[in-house]
Amino acid sequence: MDSTLAIANLILPLAYLVVTAAYGYHFFAGHRAAERLAPPLLRVTLALHLAYLVLLAARWNQFPAATLSQAASAVAFAVAVVYSFVEWHGRSRATGFWLTSMAFLFELLSALTRTAKAPDLEIFHNPLFAVHVSLGLLGYAGFVVGASYGFLFLRLYRELKRGSFSLFFGKLPPLEVLERMMLGALVAGFVALTGAVVSGGVWAEQLYAGDWQHDPKIIATLLTWAFYGGVLLLRRLRRWQGRQMAVASLAGFAAVLFSMVAVNLFFTELHVFT
Amino acid sequence: MRVVAHLPQQLAAASEAPAELLLIGVDHKTAPITLREQLAYGSDDAAALLAELRGEPSIAELCLLSTCNRTELYLCGRDQPAAYRTAFKRVFLRRAPAIEEEGRFYVKRGSEAARHLLAVAAGLESMVLGEPEILGQVRQAAVQAASCGASGALLDHLLRQAIAAGGRARRETAIGAGAVSFGYAVVELAHTIFQRLEDCAVLVVGAGETAQLVARSLVERGARELRVSNRGERRLAEFRQLFPQAVTVPFARRYDGVRGADVVVATTAAAEPVLDRDGLAEAMAERRGRPLLVVDLGLPRNVEERARELENLFLEDIDALEGLIARNLKRRRAEVPRVQEIVDQELDRFLAWHRARQAEPLIAQLQRRAEDIRRREVQSALRRIPAEHHEALERLTRALVRKILHHPSQYLRAAGEDERIAAIAVLRRLFDLREDGGG
Repeated sequence: MDSTLAIANLILPLAYLVVTAAYGYHFFAGHRAAERLAPPLLRVTLALHLAYLVLLAARWNQFPAATLSQAASAVAFAVAVVYSFVEWHGRSRATGFWLTSMAFLFELLSALTRTAKAPDLEIFHNPLFAVHVSLGLLGYAGFVVGASYGFLFLRLYRELKRGSFSLFFGKLPPLEVLERMMLGALVAGFVALTGAVVSGGVWAEQLYAGDWQHDPKIIATLLTWAFYGGVLLLRRLRRWQGRQMAVASLAGFAAVLFSMVAVNLFFTELHVFT
Repeated sequence: MRVVAHLPQQLAAASEAPAELLLIGVDHKTAPITLREQLAYGSDDAAALLAELRGEPSIAELCLLSTCNRTELYLCGRDQPAAYRTAFKRVFLRRAPAIEEEGRFYVKRGSEAARHLLAVAAGLESMVLGEPEILGQVRQAAVQAASCGASGALLDHLLRQAIAAGGRARRETAIGAGAVSFGYAVVELAHTIFQRLEDCAVLVVGAGETAQLVARSLVERGARELRVSNRGERRLAEFRQLFPQAVTVPFARRYDGVRGADVVVATTAAAEPVLDRDGLAEAMAERRGRPLLVVDLGLPRNVEERARELENLFLEDIDALEGLIARNLKRRRAEVPRVQEIVDQELDRFLAWHRARQAEPLIAQLQRRAEDIRRREVQSALRRIPAEHHEALERLTRALVRKILHHPSQYLRAAGEDERIAAIAVLRRLFDLREDGGG
């Protein structure tokens, strides 16, 4: 099974790359065949990815997010699923290239940071681990999607402001729609991350009785949570508009990357409190 | 009467099939507007002309396509030179004698004429590349020719193929994508900001020709509400006559109109801005973050440049619109090779149909000959066979003949021009089939 998992971990980034290329060929060159081909390719990739995560869970008998590689792969999967839903719901493939690019990058990160063994700690077998981690990853996926739409919003906003129109113009959904999608993703991400923070706090208190608050990962996550909470509050109270929200979504994305990658790699070993 | 006397020399020689197809036309590339005006046929005029020419013995089928940029007559001639003379005289020369000047009109025959119609329907020959109206005009011409009884099998099929080519070009390529007029550029900009134009209210400041043009584009695309604000009463009355649904906003209270609008188009001849930054900022404050598209079509500009700084206000001027139109035209031009491929494919289909049609008389003759032989042989055999087997024998021999002739028939229908001519000669000799259909 280990060799199957290793091969799947290599194939998945390639599959996402092919999907991204198909969406890109449609977006930049207006190729119709690529447009028709991209969604079924994405569905096949999602099916493969789901099978990989199920195998991973079966192999280690735990929720497949115990390492940075596994967590990145889960985020990639969540981003691709969210995009697939958006495409089905909005009947538009206009943002496919950008969202599948994100899924590809996270899957690439997963392949590059893969380790042969996953840590087999007792806490990973606790059902609360699955709840806590899946909420956290959903939150991150929401922020990744929000940042992608934020980026597209800013591009379109600037072109409209400058009155000079590039290749992007006319190919993206309207500004209003991009703003709505960005906000929806940010709110969903914040709610999920709140769940992750609360469940993690309660659980950690039971396990470590207060000896956990100084973990760099937790501090980074709380700062990320506070940042998004503050941004959403400013939207509500100070009527922050699309542009400010888009800039904030990109800044928040940097925080997510830092919390997920840098902190995990250099400061903490994914919540190893013992 | 120099050009009328004969078909242009290079066309008088045999052309590629369908040789009976002839096109005579003028368009924006060959004729100035004064000439095109003289040759523009309204619906009733066109119907009368088709009825007049339908009775001509030299003309078997005809169809007239008349738009503001082209007048084209497609015809199938029984006697090509006579058909050409008659049609040229009655359709073109009678209305516009100046057409005789060198290079004012074009004549095409056979597949070249067919390709031209397909390219016209696909928007490749239009003054504004890829413009959508021409496809509807080709459809209209086809309906008119059919309803007058002027078109027949060949032209009906060609027109259907042209409509298919036009539809495919617009569906499968971006030849018609993006606005290429000021009016639709405003619509395109609005679509880039708002999800539904049907939810947008439009305020037009100014009531002149440009205001009317842009208002028409926005209303045609379904803008929810139209408001107009203008200093002068005369222009305003004209505007309101054209757009009775428009709500008038007194010029002094134009910022009230801005508050409830999503798209503002300013197009007055005022020397100073009619919408300034402070007025717009006040209006924006009450919009609770909802974006506002302001299009300034005035020269000198009607909207203070500093308004661009306002959050969620998108100010676009004439340069921006021209830039957008130029970009869209460039995009359309890039699609031309793909549209030409579609035209080629549809032309191939038409020519294949025509080849098959050309072969039909010989195939029918061959079938008659085979049926005669079968019937004679069965008649003599029936006398020696019991009655209960007669029906089976009939079925068997019919099936045999059908199967034996199936492949040669298919071959004749699909073969190219040269192959078909050779095959026809061989078949005529083998089966003793006469040129006059007998044998």
